Amino acid sequence: MELLQISKKELLEFVGTLVSGPLDVFGVVAHDGRFAYDKLDSAANLRLDFDETLYSPKQYLFPPKDPVLSYTPGDAASCAPVYAEKDQAIIGVHPGDMAAIAMLDKAFTENKIDAHYCTRREKTTLVGIYPTKPGKYRFTSSMIKPEEPYLAADAFLIDMGDDSYTIEIVTDRGKEFFSASAAKPATADGKAKAEKMKTAVKDTVTLKIKREDLPPFLDGKERHPVWETRGAKCFSCGSCVTVCPTCYCFDMLDELDLSFDYGLRFRTWDACVLEPFAVCAGGHNFRTKAADRIRHRLYRKQKYLLEKLGLAGCVGCGRCKTACVPDIAFPPDIDDDLLRKEAHHV
Amino acid sequence: MCEGCGCHEHESIYMPEPLTVVQTHPMTERDRFFEFKLNGKDLGHKPGQFAEISIPGIGEAPISVSSSPTKKGSFEMVIRKVGKVTAAFHDLKPGDTLGVRGPFGTHFPMDEFKGKDLLFFGAGIGLVPLRSAINYALDNRSDYGKIFLLCGFTDISQRLFIDEMESWKKNPSLEFLETIDRGSPQWKGNTGVITTLIPKIKDRLSPRNTKAFIVGPPVMYKFVILELRNMGFRDADVIVSLERRMKCGVGKCGHCQIDGVYVCQEGPVFTLDGIAHLVEAL
Ligand code: SF4
Ligand code: SF4
Ligand code: FES
Repeated sequence: MELLQISKKELLEFVGTLVSGPLDVFGVVAHDGRFAYDKLDSAANLRLDFDETLYSPKQYLFPPKDPVLSYTPGDAASCAPVYAEKDQAIIGVHPGDMAAIAMLDKAFTENKIDAHYCTRREKTTLVGIYPTKPGKYRFTSSMIKPEEPYLAADAFLIDMGDDSYTIEIVTDRGKEFFSASAAKPATADGKAKAEKMKTAVKDTVTLKIKREDLPPFLDGKERHPVWETRGAKCFSCGSCVTVCPTCYCFDMLDELDLSFDYGLRFRTWDACVLEPFAVCAGGHNFRTKAADRIRHRLYRKQKYLLEKLGLAGCVGCGRCKTACVPDIAFPPDIDDDLLRKEAHHV
Repeated sequence: MCEGCGCHEHESIYMPEPLTVVQTHPMTERDRFFEFKLNGKDLGHKPGQFAEISIPGIGEAPISVSSSPTKKGSFEMVIRKVGKVTAAFHDLKPGDTLGVRGPFGTHFPMDEFKGKDLLFFGAGIGLVPLRSAINYALDNRSDYGKIFLLCGFTDISQRLFIDEMESWKKNPSLEFLETIDRGSPQWKGNTGVITTLIPKIKDRLSPRNTKAFIVGPPVMYKFVILELRNMGFRDADVIVSLERRMKCGVGKCGHCQIDGVYVCQEGPVFTLDGIAHLVEAL
């Protein structure tokens, strides 16, 4: 992998030129003391020293309400696919969120290819950043393998702690992207230090079970009392799913323009923890209880997606712990309960 | 992953093809029969598959194909009115167009069942997808042994395919029995749940050489399965079709999952031994 180095000032100057160009540039900014992704209108707002953002960057690859078809109402022959048109870059994606994007890539391309996702994805440059601060509830290294973020990233930044960054160039797109910047080849010393800096900030939480042991650990625990205990406190609000970088369940929604001569079919975010999620055409709800829905969510996070895609459905960002008001959604807490109650049973 | 892979050049998996209504008539207060045709070709489905039917501006819904693929030139569906989208389907008239994606999902593997006796349980709207397999077997009658068809409906107003049931009843190449859960003065036939029909054919069943098909409302499966197991049927010889919310049909949206299984991909048709271990299946 090619390594470059760039001073903070030079990086900001570079981002400044991008922001005033044709590209949509997204990055983390501070809002009332909390961090969030937003469209950058000036490089000065870009924060690369964030602990964790409220929402993940998945919204730029899998928008909450994404048009997939346009049509004249009632005329099936008029249906035409709608694809993203703008090029975009996301600057400042933590390794966990980057691994989540790798998982989304896999989900939307395995078996049947979703050309809507892929078109937008092909127009996106992804620049990662290794965390410079611990996340309040981060346990990413329990959930992803160090190489997985590189399945999605075009480049990664490493804060060297001396007002400079090392840039790992991962893809040709990443190389092309930084070619217009003042970045220079990294020195041998710089390379050695960069490797150390990548792991300088440690996780706050450690999962007690290894990732590969999670599927067998969960086998047979579908009727464990923990689901009822936690389910009894669940509002079925969907926040844990909305903030999660890997959740990608969706619904379809038709909407007409006010003129009534033009309409769009959207792919809209949905959440398996919402009450009507499993209601089918006959009217039967196959997951009536919150307990069943939160179990399904956790099993998707720690078992089903891992088995289906080979990548974890939870990347340990800790956002759901912050987002869930009754605090019942955090996978490490649920696993602890399962472990503890298991010990009781013995 | 996305450097020059060309995956964006694929066709949209959400893009419907135009479909025309050939004829339609009501079957019950909430169920309506439709014959559809595609422009100059067949849907290309196998018995038991479903398709996503849509009206641009209203929405899309997964609907089982009810006709056998042996019927060429058009295909049939029965649509139950349960919401805004299905209500709009009920307003369609012959000549109207709508959209279709599919066919999707697994099918009743009728070719693998050659030489076997067939025992069909079709309850309520479950008869709709099952009919594609029944008529396939009847159109290839010499491929199969004895055929038993047991149908059940909650009451007389819910009976589907009344004329066709009459022809099945008269057809000497199968044994047809029907029951309704709640009897009424006009009803002269059997009353009781579908399992009450089993004793009437039991002595002619050979569980080790029969494939049993079950399609019906969620509550029904366990009772029928229990009876079949008691008679010595193996789970590998019991075939079920399970209804779930097949929103996308292409393994993406997550709505159709039973545990980790995507019903739109690995179902809706399953053998019982393939799903018996799933917590959410039955
Ligand atoms: S489940 Fe929670 S901790 Fe895991 S990726 Fe989603 S939001 Fe982050
Ligand atoms: S687990 Fe928490 S965040 Fe998720 S739906 Fe329930 S209450 Fe809302
Ligand atoms: S219907 Fe969308 S995943 Fe199966």
